[in-house]
Amino acid sequence: MKPAPFDYVGATSIDDAVAQLASGDATVIAGGQTLMPLLALRMSMPLTVVDINRVADLRGVSVSDQGVRIGAMTRQADLLTDAALAGALPPLVTAVRHVGHHQTRNRGTIGGSLVFAEPAAEMPATAVALGATLELRSAGGTRNVAAETFYLGPYMTDIVPDELLVAVTFPAWPRHARTVFREVAQRPGDFALVGLVGAVEIEGGAIARAGLAWFGMGPTPMRARQAESALVGRAPGDIRASEIAELAIADTDPFDDVHATAEYRREVGRRVFAQALTAALAQEGQA
Amino acid sequence: MSEHPIALTINGQAYTGRIEGRLTLADYLRVNAGYTGVHVGCEQGVCGACTVIVDGRAVRSCLMLAVQADGSEVRTVESLAAPDGTLHPVQQAMRDNFGLQCGFCTPGILMTMAVLHDRKEPAGEDEMIAAMSGHICRCTGYQGIRRAIRQLTGSAEPAQEGAH
Amino acid sequence: MNAPGGIGAARYIGERMPRKEDGRLLTGRGTYVDDVVVPGMLHVAFARSPMARGRIVSIDTTMAKAMPGVHAVLTEADLARIPVTLLSFFMMPMEVETTLLARDRVAYVGDPVALIVATDRYLAEDAAGAVMVEYDEETPVVTIADARAAPPIHPDAASNVAATMGEDEPNPDLERALRGAAHVVERTLTHQRISQSPMETRGVVSAPQGDEELTLYITCQSPSVIARSVALSLGMPDLSIRVIAKDVGGSFGLKNTPWREELAVIAASLILQRPLKWIEDRLENLISANQAREQEMTLRIGFDAEGKLVASHCDYGINNGAYPQGADANVAVHAFLWAAYKMPAYGFLTRGWYTNTVGLAAYRGPWAMESYGREVLLDIAAREMGIDPIEIRRKNLVTRADQPCMTAFGMPLEDITPADCLEKLLRHFDVGAFRAEQAEARKAGRYLGLGFAVYIEPTGTAGSMPVMTGETVSVRIEPNGKVQAMLGTHSQGHGTATTMAQVIAEELGVRYEDVNVFEGDSSRGGYGPGAAGSRQGVIGGGAAVKAASLLRDKVKQVAAHVLNASPDAVTLERGTIRVAGAEEMTRSLREIAEIAYGEPARLPHGVGTGLEVTYRYDPPPVTFTSAAHAAIVEVDGDTGFVKIKRWISSEDCGVMINPAVVEGQIAGGLAQAIGTVLLEEFHYDERGNPTTATYKDYLLPTIFDVPDFEYVHANTPSQAAGGFRGVGEGGAIIGPPTLVNAIADALAPFGEIPLDLPLTPAKLLAVITGKPLSPQHHAAHPAAAAGDAAAPAPTPDDPGIAAVLAGVEPERIDPPTAAGAAVDGTWKLVMATPMGPQEMTARFATDGTTLMGALESPEGSQEFAGTAEGPNLRWEMKVTKPMPVTLKYDLTVTGDTLAGKCKMGMFGSAKVSGERA
Repeated sequence: MKPAPFDYVGATSIDDAVAQLASGDATVIAGGQTLMPLLALRMSMPLTVVDINRVADLRGVSVSDQGVRIGAMTRQADLLTDAALAGALPPLVTAVRHVGHHQTRNRGTIGGSLVFAEPAAEMPATAVALGATLELRSAGGTRNVAAETFYLGPYMTDIVPDELLVAVTFPAWPRHARTVFREVAQRPGDFALVGLVGAVEIEGGAIARAGLAWFGMGPTPMRARQAESALVGRAPGDIRASEIAELAIADTDPFDDVHATAEYRREVGRRVFAQALTAALAQEGQA
Repeated sequence: MSEHPIALTINGQAYTGRIEGRLTLADYLRVNAGYTGVHVGCEQGVCGACTVIVDGRAVRSCLMLAVQADGSEVRTVESLAAPDGTLHPVQQAMRDNFGLQCGFCTPGILMTMAVLHDRKEPAGEDEMIAAMSGHICRCTGYQGIRRAIRQLTGSAEPAQEGAH
Repeated sequence: MNAPGGIGAARYIGERMPRKEDGRLLTGRGTYVDDVVVPGMLHVAFARSPMARGRIVSIDTTMAKAMPGVHAVLTEADLARIPVTLLSFFMMPMEVETTLLARDRVAYVGDPVALIVATDRYLAEDAAGAVMVEYDEETPVVTIADARAAPPIHPDAASNVAATMGEDEPNPDLERALRGAAHVVERTLTHQRISQSPMETRGVVSAPQGDEELTLYITCQSPSVIARSVALSLGMPDLSIRVIAKDVGGSFGLKNTPWREELAVIAASLILQRPLKWIEDRLENLISANQAREQEMTLRIGFDAEGKLVASHCDYGINNGAYPQGADANVAVHAFLWAAYKMPAYGFLTRGWYTNTVGLAAYRGPWAMESYGREVLLDIAAREMGIDPIEIRRKNLVTRADQPCMTAFGMPLEDITPADCLEKLLRHFDVGAFRAEQAEARKAGRYLGLGFAVYIEPTGTAGSMPVMTGETVSVRIEPNGKVQAMLGTHSQGHGTATTMAQVIAEELGVRYEDVNVFEGDSSRGGYGPGAAGSRQGVIGGGAAVKAASLLRDKVKQVAAHVLNASPDAVTLERGTIRVAGAEEMTRSLREIAEIAYGEPARLPHGVGTGLEVTYRYDPPPVTFTSAAHAAIVEVDGDTGFVKIKRWISSEDCGVMINPAVVEGQIAGGLAQAIGTVLLEEFHYDERGNPTTATYKDYLLPTIFDVPDFEYVHANTPSQAAGGFRGVGEGGAIIGPPTLVNAIADALAPFGEIPLDLPLTPAKLLAVITGKPLSPQHHAAHPAAAAGDAAAPAPTPDDPGIAAVLAGVEPERIDPPTAAGAAVDGTWKLVMATPMGPQEMTARFATDGTTLMGALESPEGSQEFAGTAEGPNLRWEMKVTKPMPVTLKYDLTVTGDTLAGKCKMGMFGSAKVSGERA
């Protein structure tokens, strides 16, 4: 399990990285926590590996009234210790806590996780649920793609080979928005059998906005659109979580694998959705 | 294929050399630098045996290219005990609590423990045990590892110690 | 730590002494095989089959050979220059032709096809990818069910039955007993395939030094066994082989025997005359290191109206893969199934099956299916009969008052204590309080469950199977008073340097710190099978007791003479020699040792110099360990996830040398059991492709999956020296039924749980919801087992073998007219025994229907008399080893070949084949 030979290029800037990508069969290495095993298994055999670890412009979290912008190369561990982020986007921080393990979060990046597009991973679903936009850069310029349209299938996205994910931008959610999160996985750090992430905003006694997405419940992150629509405008006290859960399940397309069947995922999804929603609505709101 | 100069510090000692781009940090530490306490258990980033400390963080050395450690400060298990042989508290806790059997996974576990123990605000029991989810031990059933963590974090000893 | 202090007799046996191994292992200074570097060493990688079954049309190594750093690319044709015979753990040749690399066909995904030698592993893997192999793919046989229906996967096997024993047709007496039983339970249980997954994979450094010496650094369970096995495999009588294995990163049965890759590397190093290193990577380990446990069992148990056992029958099958480490029907399952219980009548049919999957190897407690089947069905029976699960065990367990007695399988029992372990466990656990808590919880929609299981396991076996031997301990007190001990024991995590030093220090009367233990080198210490069958504590410990006490006697004798005292008045404690009532005569061990080595004139008459003893200990044939376990679980009604809340082990492993080591062994086995029940499954798709080839998909237990275990120890001394009993495998045997019974108890309100491991969340949630949430597994039904077409249609020239292998009566063949001439003469026979094929020579002489003859085997020659009715030969003979049993041969001659079976009492039947010499 040793990587096949490749040319290693340490990019010095975003432009440098983009220029390298334009030159041919190249793969970006960010945290490497997914790419390195693929290289070692020789499932990925690129001619060139472009390392973006030393590109300072790709790192960092900036919180503003408009939302949160996170550089693609920002490590998952750093998202857990960022005080401003913890206040601005609690669902994201909760989700990051479930990504991999302590040791892999120390290297793994938010961008790497977003682009790898593992259907059962936390980050892509979080981006979809919270309405994030991905900023893609190529020699031809910048392209902003909504997370919801970015994911095309398992490990398949809208990114083209000469594009680099530069940052992800989350729209602002009020500080009192409730976190909806539940992950059912066999062991900590495993990809989810069933996962749910999102936020619910309550304004003036009714739900003003809801963003909910599944992971491990289909070929891509699955946005629970029907459930979101049903929630908006309703008072928390009028909501029957099990009915909303049925709508949410209707927006999934789960699969069988060696660990669980599609039927299991639906059955458990139905239950944990209702529980997670009920728990979120019962949270102490600050407004 | 490309070759790259690197200069890094391992266990306080400066190293320089030219390496191939694809060489993993784990192999560099073991083969080029001779730190065979770094154990390669899966090369898939799952077992945690190869965990070392790079610039103050516990990371899998099989999931890093050696060239990426250029300019870094790397610590392996060989650096934990004091020069006079006194064991680091995490080593002593593992010894006191029979935290190892075959010892293959142990260096990685020690490095994660050491980072969390030596932190300005040392980790508590829950955080340290949570970090252990990134390590597979096939021998011990984690009994001694958990006891060692409780000893390190000052939480109560487990109730059962064998009724004779 | 409870390290002993103070003056007086130092007790080390029974103390939690810190481990002697830990100093180096905690500081990264251990020496595992990949840490060994030999000057001039080259590195090996293998090109492997990407398909489960196919014919090799061509292998083109031209491109690979031309790659940078590549020294050689070898195929089976190249390696065949050194003929190598693969051997089982029992040192027996394989039943089907097993080459080091694939020759003209591949039989599983990962089957090695070419061996690449390069200057480093990266370059070797590059070249492995450039070996061009053209295959003609064939339909694979993957599961036991496939194997039953398919033509043989091996051209030299008559069917896919790799090994078989037992009754291949219903035994009328047993069936009558079962029919007459007041209550009968019958279930089919299936067990998934397990990867032993030691954290250190396989690996070898093979360093030939000229044509007379070969040094092997290899990760293994016994350097002695590897040296013996490699010497036999290579058949080079003039080659001196030394095997070194300082530190081993776990094994659990995988590294018992050098296998295809290790022997291929050794052969290549001899051909190239270069030191070669091969370190198996994890992908190789998961797809091409032999695996274990894929089994199915249909068990029937009959009870009388009070719940006492009446009779039982078991139909069992195990997937042997393509190239098992010895074709195996796992007869030990049947030997131990009822060993701890009063079972009046038992019968079985047991078979191993060849498939296009990686071969079968050992895994901690290879016969563990017996405890899983028995203990789970006992609980089901108890539930059906309205008996408490504890009571049904109390009614049927062998108690001390019942002993001595024989098991249903014919094994003598003298001192097992499973019933005592159960009672002791119950004193540490309030069942009534739990039942009340469970009832309350159920009202709240929470599902708690309690499971029990009880068993005995054979440990420290020696003398009944040729490879399971005694142990030698050599101890010397150096002139400086330090103690050096050389042992054949070997730790893959067991801590034998620690436990053996404790025994030696206590028996000799020296400080623990002054005892150095050397093991892991076939050139030192005595011959011993190492870690296999939970034997090292019993046999190594016994040898250490004996050797140390002999040496202590010599120290006393020398000291008494030097000090002019009576030997009875001399004591040796903590390295100090004292004479009772004469404090001024106190001497250090060093002073006496210096005299013993350097001043012969001061020694007693007839006593040689030095303080050295070598003792080889042969223990009782088997030493049993008993245990009862209890587990409490909670099953999440929304997800089907199982949380283990409490687990209590009550075991009797005799005198404990180091309780921390004992508990470590139990805990490790239990963690593996938890993995078996809840997480682990090595899975193949229908094309024989592994679908769990990384640790992302093959789920090993983490710290979150294993609870804190509680221990209750009984300490009934065994009859072995020191009173020790083995404890290495037990947790892996008793763990699965304990946990499954707890889960079944938790979900009892919903009905019965499935018994096909692992019990995934999907399977359990299906029980809770009553919805089909998990794929339907095809469990073997007893009817299928009895009536299956295991073998292809008999071929015209070989009807006998095919029919016998199929488990059906051989077709009657009309007797030839000249029966005498057809039978008389010398025949070479092969009997398929559980330890591998046994070769024998038979001489037959007929006189009408009277058969006279003699059978010669390596164990000796025995005459017999029987009948010859046409081509059908029958005779009986009594043997005494490994235990008294009457062998009933029933063979049929067809031309110059012969086939049939030999009934071996309770061991069932073994197939016999032969040809005219």
